[in-house]
Amino acid sequence: MLIEYLPGDTLIHRLDVRTKMFGFLGFMILSFLFQDPTYQLLIVFSIGLVAFWIKIPLRKIGGMLVPLIPIILSIILITGFTFTPERFDRVSSQAILFYALPGDRLGATVGGFLMGTTFIFRLISMMIASSVLTLTTSMDDFTQFFHKMKVPAEVSMMLTTAIRFLPTLDKKRKLILEAQKARGTKLNEKGIVGPIQSYLPIMIPLFINSIMMANSLSMAMLNRGYGLTRTWTSMRELSFALRDYWTILLIVLLLTLAIFVRFRLQLGVL
Amino acid sequence: METLETQETIKTIKTIETVKIVKHVENAIELSNISYYYPNAQEPSLKNINLTVEKGKFIVLMGSTGAGKTTLSLCLNGLIPQLLEGKLTGQVSVAGKNVGKTAVQSLSKVLGLVLQDPEAQIIGRTVEEDTAFGPRNFLVPFDEIKQRVNKTLEKVRLKGYNQRLTEELSGGEKQRLAIAGVLVMEPEILVLDEPTSELDPIGRSEIYATLDDLHRKKDLTILLVEHSSEELIQKADEIVVLNQGEVFWKGLPSELFRNLPLLRQWGIKPLPVSQLGWNFYEKGWISFAEIPLDIPSAEGLIRALLPKYGHWHEHGHGHGHGHGHGHAQGQGQRRDRLFKQEPYFSETEIAVQVSDLIYQYNSGQTALQGINLTIKAGEFVALIGQNGAGKTTLAKHFNGLLKPTSGEVIVEGMNTSRYDTSDLSKTIGYVFQNPDHQIFSTTVEKELEFGLKNAGYKGQESKDRVDQVLEYTGLEKYRSVHPFSLGKGERQMIAVASILVLKPKLLIIDEPTTGSDWAGVQMMMALIRKLHTARTTIIMISHDMDLVAQYAKRVIVLKDGGIMLDGTPQDVFSKEQILVDSAIIPPQLCRLSSQLKDILGHKTLIESNEFMAMFERQEKTGC
Repeated sequence: MLIEYLPGDTLIHRLDVRTKMFGFLGFMILSFLFQDPTYQLLIVFSIGLVAFWIKIPLRKIGGMLVPLIPIILSIILITGFTFTPERFDRVSSQAILFYALPGDRLGATVGGFLMGTTFIFRLISMMIASSVLTLTTSMDDFTQFFHKMKVPAEVSMMLTTAIRFLPTLDKKRKLILEAQKARGTKLNEKGIVGPIQSYLPIMIPLFINSIMMANSLSMAMLNRGYGLTRTWTSMRELSFALRDYWTILLIVLLLTLAIFVRFRLQLGVL
Repeated sequence: METLETQETIKTIKTIETVKIVKHVENAIELSNISYYYPNAQEPSLKNINLTVEKGKFIVLMGSTGAGKTTLSLCLNGLIPQLLEGKLTGQVSVAGKNVGKTAVQSLSKVLGLVLQDPEAQIIGRTVEEDTAFGPRNFLVPFDEIKQRVNKTLEKVRLKGYNQRLTEELSGGEKQRLAIAGVLVMEPEILVLDEPTSELDPIGRSEIYATLDDLHRKKDLTILLVEHSSEELIQKADEIVVLNQGEVFWKGLPSELFRNLPLLRQWGIKPLPVSQLGWNFYEKGWISFAEIPLDIPSAEGLIRALLPKYGHWHEHGHGHGHGHGHGHAQGQGQRRDRLFKQEPYFSETEIAVQVSDLIYQYNSGQTALQGINLTIKAGEFVALIGQNGAGKTTLAKHFNGLLKPTSGEVIVEGMNTSRYDTSDLSKTIGYVFQNPDHQIFSTTVEKELEFGLKNAGYKGQESKDRVDQVLEYTGLEKYRSVHPFSLGKGERQMIAVASILVLKPKLLIIDEPTTGSDWAGVQMMMALIRKLHTARTTIIMISHDMDLVAQYAKRVIVLKDGGIMLDGTPQDVFSKEQILVDSAIIPPQLCRLSSQLKDILGHKTLIESNEFMAMFERQEKTGC
């Protein structure tokens, strides 16, 4: 799963959660600044290095990417045909490769395909970046972060319980699946309605069970004093170390450089 | 005259004194005239309940399903009516606090309530995080939380578990963590709603031991809602029986468990030894107070009664001890026993053939190591063993939910690795432990039709089968009722019925009686016995050794993924040492008969009428 904490002791693990969140934000801005796929490739490469550093479980990332292949292909196709030449600044991007329909309609632009590639690279780098963030940051840190950002206690409580109950629900799902299989449910039915219909016997008990569990959870939380006060004792205080200041400085420098390249030098556009 | 007067004054002084003493004893819980209607309910779930519980007592609340036990415990900490609406009348006061006027959250400091399902009560990801949840809400300072967490974890025998993930705990550990979660708030009263219903015997006795510790070490008042009874009799100070929302009986555990007709009436499981004692009592051989409640007293009783009324002993003397003829007689009796029961298995048709079965999880951990097993058609097999011994893993191979890593499983002539579970489901039925994992239809009838539709039955054939099974299982009156509006026992029955419509040749039932009351257990077991008589092969997984001994014809003990023992209940339950190693506690009557080894020889008796046979004349004339 995406949000599993990977214990370790690299610099990134030790960074304060706020620094990491700031870095993540900076990274997003960086990625959205540039439209040129070559620049995006550079970004993917650099975040890839960071991911390699924290020993990211490659098989898991691969497992997440494979189901995305159809989406990747369709994104490239859609952008290729829908981005009209007027949307691009550079002449080379405005070139039309061929028309899909007779009478010069629905032309495929070079820029469109390049834009599609950029979208893909952006998607991939976002995925890696968010994995790096979640893999190196414990749940405690995230709640602390929400607390510091003045997110209402209810919201952070909701998020933490959701994460706590994901494995439990997954276990339930497996049990339900087994029980229905034992009654002869086939899950690979053909047609449009077939697959949806065959999942009803799984989804309905899953919903009912989740609701029952949510009910007893709300009782259990009241039983343990939840909601008596609007705040609670924090178990760990966040604190900036020297490394955090250095990292933030580095991120700020990189961002300024990127903005300079993009807006002053007008590079990285299509 | 004068003396009379002085006597009278002495009496009044005494009564005043006792009144004083009574007043001095604080009441932890006081309920007066409590009645409660769930929203939209016509019938009250609690009717005029008056109950006081003294401080420091260990009270057990018993009664059949639907008697109002859970409802009552929810009233105690204000969840009724503060979270669950409905109509509540009467006064509830807990540790001097008026429950109606105090918020649930504040009450949790004086009364801790542990609910049934530990899974839904654990909020934190790690043990420490979860235990700290309560005190954090009360803004207890950080250092004190640390201290309290450690102290509480030690109390529930989870010392050093601080950083363990709650997800990875065993059922028993989860339940103890749930107890820790409320104990850490240092309540004066602890209320537990069936905390052991889903645990194996080891997990259960750990919970009881924990409760016993807590009760003794601290001045904690405990109110425990529970079905099972054997271990509780020594521990509880008092038992309260609820029946249809009313307090029917209140008194000492020994009084209740000696009174078998009352137990039967209220749907509470009697102790096997007291069942035996009740038979003696009915014959007029012993007084009511002499009805035994544990094994040593039952042993003493039998030893005392044998010379007077028994015939076994005489017989033994007549033929010399246990040798030759005596042994043959024992065997004769055993054959008798088999003869009396339903058909064992006369044919040689093989239902299940397992050879060299090895199963490994994806993680590489071995769950089953080289199982060889043959089950003939028409057998009634019980799979027993501790949690994690591999019972369910083995059973899931029988209907193809799991495929062997190596080795072969052939069921009804089909090699499971070549068939899909949905194909096997037409001949092999598998009923899972939790009925709520499979019920999804809006009526009982539709729920039953689902399996038939999958198997390709349509129209009249499907309708006939549903009608037949509804009648067979006694669910006819619920035909067009929504399954979730029924009780747990009925839902369990629906789960079984939804498999029975497929007329399986082999039926696998995983813990068919979890969470049912005694009446529910007996109904379910009667159904299973009926199916067995109709030549269905039965494989039952159970922790309830009394049921296993009473119903199964063959018992297989699993431990660490291997078969430790395989034989008749008599054989298996006499192998004490191996059972101890596999963490199995034999049924009470088997333990009793092993105490009486010098009289019985190597024979293990498992039913109370077998013990009674020792005292009956007919048995003797037979020889």
